[in-house]
Amino acid sequence: MAYVATRGGERAIAQAERLYREDLGPVDRDRVTAIARSLPWLVDRVMGEASLYEPELAALALAQTGGDLYEAVLLLRAWRTTQPRLAIAQPVTQDRLFTLRRISAAFKDIPGGQILGPTLDYSHRILATGVLEDQPLTPAPVQKADHPAPPHHPSLAAWQKAQGLVADPPREEVAPDAIPDLTREPLLFPAPRAHRLQSLARADSGGVLALGYSAMRGYGNAHPTVNELRLAEAELRVRHPRGTVFSAGRVKISQAEVAAKNGGTRIRLGFAATLGWNEVKVISAATLDLNAAGAAKGAPTEEEFFLYHTEPVEASGFCIHFKLPHYVTFQSSLDAMRDAKAGGAATTETGPPAGCSDRSGDSAGASAAAALPDPVEPIRETTE
Amino acid sequence: MTGKTEEDRMFQEDAPVAPELGNHAQLLETLARADVARLKALAETLLPSLPAPEILKSGTGLVMLPMRDTVQGTDFHLGEVLVAEAHLRLPSGTEGYGMVIGRDLERAMAMAVVDAAAQENVQSDRIADFLSEEAADIAARDRDTLRAVEATRVEMETF
Repeated sequence: MAYVATRGGERAIAQAERLYREDLGPVDRDRVTAIARSLPWLVDRVMGEASLYEPELAALALAQTGGDLYEAVLLLRAWRTTQPRLAIAQPVTQDRLFTLRRISAAFKDIPGGQILGPTLDYSHRILATGVLEDQPLTPAPVQKADHPAPPHHPSLAAWQKAQGLVADPPREEVAPDAIPDLTREPLLFPAPRAHRLQSLARADSGGVLALGYSAMRGYGNAHPTVNELRLAEAELRVRHPRGTVFSAGRVKISQAEVAAKNGGTRIRLGFAATLGWNEVKVISAATLDLNAAGAAKGAPTEEEFFLYHTEPVEASGFCIHFKLPHYVTFQSSLDAMRDAKAGGAATTETGPPAGCSDRSGDSAGASAAAALPDPVEPIRETTE
Repeated sequence: MTGKTEEDRMFQEDAPVAPELGNHAQLLETLARADVARLKALAETLLPSLPAPEILKSGTGLVMLPMRDTVQGTDFHLGEVLVAEAHLRLPSGTEGYGMVIGRDLERAMAMAVVDAAAQENVQSDRIADFLSEEAADIAARDRDTLRAVEATRVEMETF
C-alpha cells in the first residue's frame, strides 16, 4: 500500500487556514510578551517537549498556534533545524544547580533540609471567579527570610550512596561530544541509558504521565516514592576560544529521583530531568526509568514501549495523519471485505462466514479486528 | 569557621566574589548576566578606543546541554539552548568573544567588545568599575531570590 497524490481543493485549503487564523486574530509582539509573562509553566512544558530552550520563541509558537501544544512543539522542533549547533556545554551536575525547590517524600530530614520553593502543593484549589467580577487576584508578597537559602545542594542519591543505601556503580567518563545524541542518531533498543534519559527529557508530558501512572497504579513492578524533586536553574557552561570555561547564563530545569525497595538491603532509584519546570513529567518519567529493568515485552513500563509512544512529534504526527486522505487504503479494505462476503455467500446461504460481521455499519471495524495480529507485534503502518 | 562539619560546608553559601580583570571566567560570567542596556552602553563607549575589529562570527545557534544522571552517573543530553554568539579579532590578534542565552546579537557583540577591550587594557578602570557594580547587582538579585526561597523551608513533623 502506498500513498497516492490527491488533486484539487487548493482554494478550500487556503480558506480553511484563513478560517483557523481568523479565529486567533492578529498575533503581535504584545501577545507573545503576555504569554511569556503570564504562562511560564506552559512555556516551560513546550520548551521541554520541543527540546529547545528559548522562552520567547516558545511563547511565539503558542501564540501562533492558538495554544495547540502539539502544533507549537512541531513549530519549535522544525525551527530548531534552521540553527547551527555551536557547542556542547559542560555536563550539569546536581551540586552546581542554583536550587529553588528541593523536597523529599521519602526522607523527612534530608541534608540541607526541605525547601518547598514555588508550589501550590499545599494550597486550596479554588477557582478565583472574583477575577471576572473585577476583583483581581493580586499575590501577597513573600515574607523573605533574613538570610538566603544555600544555592547549591548535592543530590539526595549522592548522600544515600555515601550511606550505602543505594548502589554506587562506577561511572564511565564520556567526553561531551561522545555522549549519545538522539538528534543525530536513531533510537535503537536496548537503548543506551543516555538515549533513554534524553528521550524522556523530550517526551510528551501527557504521554509519560499516562504510562507512568499505569506503573504507579500497579501495572509496573515498583511503586515509586519521590526520593528528591528539584526545580533549579542550570548554568550553561561553554568554552571561550582561549579555553576559559564560563557560564553564558542559566536555564530552568527540573529533575526527579524516585525510590523503591530493592527487595534486599538497598534502595533502587529511577531518574529523569527535563528543560523547564515540569514536575509531573519528571516524576512520571523517573517512575518509568525505575520500572524499566525486567519489564515484560509490550508492558507500558518496557523501555521500547514507553520511549516509542511518548515522542510528542511522532505520536501526534501519526495520529493527525489519519485525518489525511486514506481513500485508496480504505477502499482496498472494503474490496477485500466484499470479496470475502461474496465468497461466503457462494459457499453457504445459512449465515455469515467466521470473522465477518453481519452488521454492515460495523463491517470495516470487524474487518480490521480480524486482521489484528498478536498484540505483541503491533500494527505498523510503515509502508503507507 | 570552627564547629562546622563537612556537611555544613557542603551547603555553605557561595561567598560573593568581586570579579577581577585578570579572572577571565569571572569577567565573562559577569558580562553574560550584566544588565543588557548597561552592557551595550559600555561597549559603545569602548568602541572608539579600539581599532576596527574583524567580525568572525555574529549569529544565533544551539548549545546542547548535557546533564549527569544521579543514579548511574550517565551523562545525557537534556536539550538544546538557543544562544547568541559573537566573535571578533582586533588587528593585534586579540580575540573577543561573547555568548549569551537568547537571541540578542547586539548583547553578544557588546560582550565580545568588552572582552577584547579588557584583554587590550583599554579603559581598564571603566571596565573594572562596571564589573564590580554589575557583580554586586547580580549577587544582590540572587540573594534576594534565595531569601524568598529560604522563607519556604519546611520542618515536617510526623505523628
